[in-house]
Amino acid sequence: MNGFDITGWGMAVPERVVSSKDLAQRFGVDENWIVSRCGILERRAVGPGQTTASLAVEAGRRALDKAGLTGGDIAHLIVATATPEQPSPATSAFVHHELGIAGSAHDVNSECAGFVYGLVQAMALIKIDPRPILLIGSDTHTLTANPADRDLSILVGDGAGAIVLAPAAEDRVLAWNLGADGSCTGSLKVLAGGSRMPTTEDTVREGLHYAQINGNEIYLNAVRYTVRTVRETLTNAKVDAADVSHVIPHQANIRIINSILSHTGLRPEALVANLHKYGNTASASIPIALTEALDEGRINDGDLVLLAGFGAGMTWGSILLRWDGGTA
Amino acid sequence: MSLPTIEELAGQLEAVSGAQKVDPDQPLQHIADVDSLDLMEWLYGFQNQYPHIPADESLFADIDDTTTLRVVYDRIVQLVPAQA
Repeated sequence: MNGFDITGWGMAVPERVVSSKDLAQRFGVDENWIVSRCGILERRAVGPGQTTASLAVEAGRRALDKAGLTGGDIAHLIVATATPEQPSPATSAFVHHELGIAGSAHDVNSECAGFVYGLVQAMALIKIDPRPILLIGSDTHTLTANPADRDLSILVGDGAGAIVLAPAAEDRVLAWNLGADGSCTGSLKVLAGGSRMPTTEDTVREGLHYAQINGNEIYLNAVRYTVRTVRETLTNAKVDAADVSHVIPHQANIRIINSILSHTGLRPEALVANLHKYGNTASASIPIALTEALDEGRINDGDLVLLAGFGAGMTWGSILLRWDGGTA
Repeated sequence: MSLPTIEELAGQLEAVSGAQKVDPDQPLQHIADVDSLDLMEWLYGFQNQYPHIPADESLFADIDDTTTLRVVYDRIVQLVPAQA
């Protein structure tokens, strides 16, 4: 056993829809401005009782059902999130309990690149411990966006996506790449609530518990680093960009995605995009898009599937898989 | 590679934004079809084309409704390394 098959997948999004028309009215801007700015028509937002963990549990349960497994079959649970259930303990602990996971549980916080980071961790883990792994990306960034912050509010949505990795003889991964640039911590941040700035009445009054974004820096770095990671992964795999069957990027902003396609030579027809209906769901965006593509029968045996993400920090990563009947 | 002309920069910005015409002396914020993400896309292309010029997003950090492409161009000129 040296590889893995993806034997289950699932997603969960809240029922509540926040349309760009709603936000246009809230912020006094034209709806078309929002759509042209990011390509997002609507996004989902959690309601009372819905949390990062509850969405993760829902998506995780669907992935387990698809794989024909229960939590008792899972050796390791990995939850990628940047909007944890609470500061402590880890979100994965809550998910572990709800799903009855038999084995270990840990979180990965690499912001919107978290799912790709988590998948690389899972790939390594399954080589040394060939037993099933449940990997979930779940985020609720509508709760960290200041309701008065137009630039962030138009982007974010809530959701979760999950996959089950089962040990397999063949390695489906052609190449992967991870990276980070810690000099970019100011581009997208939540200042208060950690050891550097513990929460106080003042931090709450000043709104420092909300996320702050420098959209220009994020755009530039997202394009720069995602183009870099895609090129490195394709080069290492000795695969031409035009030969990639499906590109599933982090669903942040259609203009970032289009720029990445343009600069890498990836085919627009290969793009799997659903941000127009879910917005930027952070760690969840790639597994949600993967789940929809699989459920639609869009991914077939032998297809080359490229996952590519970037997140605050900055962090980035990409993985090229050859899909297989055993995988699906 | 030498510094591009301001007309070349205007042409590059037209290409990435889809704007019909970029007048170097018109405030950037007043040019239809050009927004801040277009400027970042143009900057990304510029950085790749002219890696010897240390231009970054600070070129646009204090942009206001009077800032023109010519103003940005003058900032770029200041960044060009002196010839050895």
